[in-house]
Amino acid sequence: MPYHEFEVSKVIPERKQHAVMKGAGEDLTSCLPLGYLNTIPGSISERGCAYCGAKHVIGTPMKDVIHISHGPVGCTYDTWQTKRYISDNDNFQLKYTFATDVKEKHIVFGAEKLLKQNIVEAFKAFPDTKRMTIYQTCATALIGDDIDAIAQEVMEEMPGTDIFVCNSPGFAGPSQSGGHHKINIAWINQKVGTLEPEITSDYVINYVGEYNIQGDQEVMTDYFKRMGIQVLSTFTGNGSYDDLRGMHRAHLNVLECARSAEYICDELRERYGIPRLDIDGFGFKPLADSLRKIGLFFGIEERAEAIIQEEIARWQPELDWYKERLRGKKVCLWPGGSKLWHWAHAIQEEMGVKVVSVYTKFGHQGDMEKGVSRCGEGALAIDDPNELEGLEALDMLKPDVIFTGKRPGEMAKKVNVPYLNAHAYHNGPYKGFEGWVRFARDIYNAIHSPIHKLSLIDISKDEIDAGKGFQTRRMISDEGLPEEIRKSTELREYTGKYDSVSALREKTYPEFPRAEAGTEAVAE
Amino acid sequence: MTCEIKEKDRVGTINPIFTCQPAGAQFVSIGVKDCIGLVHGGQGCVMFVRLIFSQHYKESFELASSSLHEDGAVFGACGRVEEGVDVLLARYPDVKVIPIITTCSTEVIGDDVDGVIRKLNDGLLKEKYADREVHLIAIHTPSFVGSMISGYDVAVRDFVKYFATPTEPNGKINLITGWVNPGDVKALKHLLKEMDVDATVLFEIESFDSPLMPDGNAISHGGTTIDDLRSTANAFGTIALNRYEGAKAAEWLQEEYKIPAVIGPTPIGIRNTDSFLQNLKKMTGKPIPPSLVRERAVALDALTDVTHMFLAEKKVAIYGNPDLVIGLAEFCIDLEMKPVLLLLGDDNVRYKNDPRLLAMKENVDWDMEVVTNADFWDLEDRIKNKGLELDLILGHSKGRFVAIDNNIPMVRVGFPTYDRAGMYRYPVVGYEGATWLAEQMANALFTDMEYKKNKEWILNVW
Repeated sequence: MPYHEFEVSKVIPERKQHAVMKGAGEDLTSCLPLGYLNTIPGSISERGCAYCGAKHVIGTPMKDVIHISHGPVGCTYDTWQTKRYISDNDNFQLKYTFATDVKEKHIVFGAEKLLKQNIVEAFKAFPDTKRMTIYQTCATALIGDDIDAIAQEVMEEMPGTDIFVCNSPGFAGPSQSGGHHKINIAWINQKVGTLEPEITSDYVINYVGEYNIQGDQEVMTDYFKRMGIQVLSTFTGNGSYDDLRGMHRAHLNVLECARSAEYICDELRERYGIPRLDIDGFGFKPLADSLRKIGLFFGIEERAEAIIQEEIARWQPELDWYKERLRGKKVCLWPGGSKLWHWAHAIQEEMGVKVVSVYTKFGHQGDMEKGVSRCGEGALAIDDPNELEGLEALDMLKPDVIFTGKRPGEMAKKVNVPYLNAHAYHNGPYKGFEGWVRFARDIYNAIHSPIHKLSLIDISKDEIDAGKGFQTRRMISDEGLPEEIRKSTELREYTGKYDSVSALREKTYPEFPRAEAGTEAVAE
Repeated sequence: MTCEIKEKDRVGTINPIFTCQPAGAQFVSIGVKDCIGLVHGGQGCVMFVRLIFSQHYKESFELASSSLHEDGAVFGACGRVEEGVDVLLARYPDVKVIPIITTCSTEVIGDDVDGVIRKLNDGLLKEKYADREVHLIAIHTPSFVGSMISGYDVAVRDFVKYFATPTEPNGKINLITGWVNPGDVKALKHLLKEMDVDATVLFEIESFDSPLMPDGNAISHGGTTIDDLRSTANAFGTIALNRYEGAKAAEWLQEEYKIPAVIGPTPIGIRNTDSFLQNLKKMTGKPIPPSLVRERAVALDALTDVTHMFLAEKKVAIYGNPDLVIGLAEFCIDLEMKPVLLLLGDDNVRYKNDPRLLAMKENVDWDMEVVTNADFWDLEDRIKNKGLELDLILGHSKGRFVAIDNNIPMVRVGFPTYDRAGMYRYPVVGYEGATWLAEQMANALFTDMEYKKNKEWILNVW
């Protein structure tokens, strides 16, 4: 195995098997790091906890729900307003968060009564919201509060309310990934099949593993609706609690983030026989292929094809404008879980950049398999990276840009590497054809930022061009570009609006006639 | 016309104003040089706190986790502290101080952190790191007690308690700033310099506003050294600016080493800054120089421009760290404004006897409420459902939607502030801070008048 040993990690030998550098002719059989093992204490890992994996990542994007965490306020406060999963109901889930505020006396005497008071108070404060999720935390897991029993009691006493309980304390697993698993299984066990949805199309899907970061879900749902497909539910971005109770009636589960939500898809297949189709909203080709696959499944390929043609005609010249200016730029692709493989191949193919490193904080070996196989030679793959390894890798690889989280982004900034937020995006959405151009635009703006170039100058040593009062990005990016590309009339910069999502909410869609009233085109 | 001090009338929290104790201890930890805190608990307790620090300061700070997993929660996780200390020391050759910060989970399972430290001191540190100066400090900050405020208070005391070593008088005072911004520390150091007072500033976080250097080697660290902490026992006095953030350390030094302590006032506004300088003068015998008389006068000149014409009568709600909130309220009153609602986000029983709040209770001639253990619903519910009318909100970014959704202008102040650029660079303390605050408030009102077309023409002539 071509393991990569970091200088800074020589003193913790077990780290050696967590990084590989892909060499000539190597494939997964010889080049795969270990993954999803317990974190080494004190290594300054970037991992979060199983509570945040459940509540913060998957639970909270559900939009019409009171999200209560049963514990001291910190868990709630810390995971509140740190994401950009918007919704079409004025972002209720971003604005409101609830904590039972467990104090010392509750630790000693139990906090079940406190929990019940909290539930009642919350429903009273928001009388129009009848749905609730409750998340266990470390403290209440350890004292052994029976949250399920309290939830059951309230549902009986307050008809019309419905409560979901997720027991995923912070310590339950090596990372946030443990929480993803727990909430997937809890949801299908407790809620799927408890409400019969209204079926309005012959083609019905659940859109799974999609969190509506900056509007991703709304962009993708727009394509589905244009194909005449009913999106029964989204798990969970911009998703509705009651819609998700009816997941069992879909004909197909369309799965986006296989890291965080394949569990529920696999259970839906097992229990209800609903097939799983993995798709990819990032990148023109992966997205076009995804829409084609869905079209093929339902026998409506021509609807998919029409959308693909229209969108590509509209956006390809803009994507290519950026591709010409991003060619050969070195990228560190350091997201949380699945984006390492969602993006690796697509950005190389469609934006011309070179991925020099991938890492994953909470991915499993399966994610690394996909990621490593989609990278070129010389790419450094790191599992559960830590602060010092990250800095050493940046020093060694000297990337032009890094895609990572907010906090590691600040670290990269200090070593003069511009960053894009891989979790929340800079100016997304990044899914969809237009979104992919927005991503390219953001990469271009980061790499060719005049301010970034200025930060590399040492005025005490370097020559200063005193006659220059400014520099445009084009002056930087077009230096050395062939004349025909610089002056191309085919290619153009991004022409969309700052907000590319809100208008979709007002859109109307064509009615497609159904096969025959009362029957369904797809056999169950 | 009454001023009531009362506790929130619900048990639960809808949109919390504070986070929990370990965050406060972690904030202290990043202020100390060659120090990396090891938080004993789940990984989220560190990951999110690092995130919120990076959101506020736009910098990354080093904090480690013992990464409590399920086995540790069941069988005890002291071993993970031992391993964590070893890994940190082995990989960070400059690290000398490791505070071990507990959380709710590890306090509930009852891990004996003090015992682990004894074991490490007698074992690992002697065997593997014999030539190295290493200090392990137990900081108990269960999340179900107090809040980030008390976590900060406890941690400052524990650092001081651990290091303070009486030797020779150092001719300095100790200045404990409380939970402030780099801009505040800069402003305080400026006042000390003008007064010609040599001080140990806890904590030296001016460096949190760190540069982006061409050679790319600047990472943000606090600047308080072990020697600074040691010599706190040799000062001739301590001034803790805040009653709830740092006073414990000042009181401990007074009790243990007879170092006179002055607690407060938080030097927000002209009057409190006057008192701070007066305290410095009393403690050091140094006169207040003409330069500060002038600086104060420049500030008063600026305040006079905005106070009775624009700020007078404006109703304001203030939330956040208690000393900050109280200091701001006092300043607003001097500016002829009417603080009508103060929200203090934890259940500290001392708030209701705080002399500053009692003075308001005694003297304000308008309806005012001070709510302890408060959350943001205490603010929003009053606005939406109970007819509270406000002209301005002062507080940190977590309350932004209350202002946005109710069309109330807001000035960002306190921690965390992530939805406005560069606020950490500006002080709220000192004469400089008073000017900045008053002008921020005035400008926020002006912008609001223009958006709402509410006598916006008045600014044609000013």
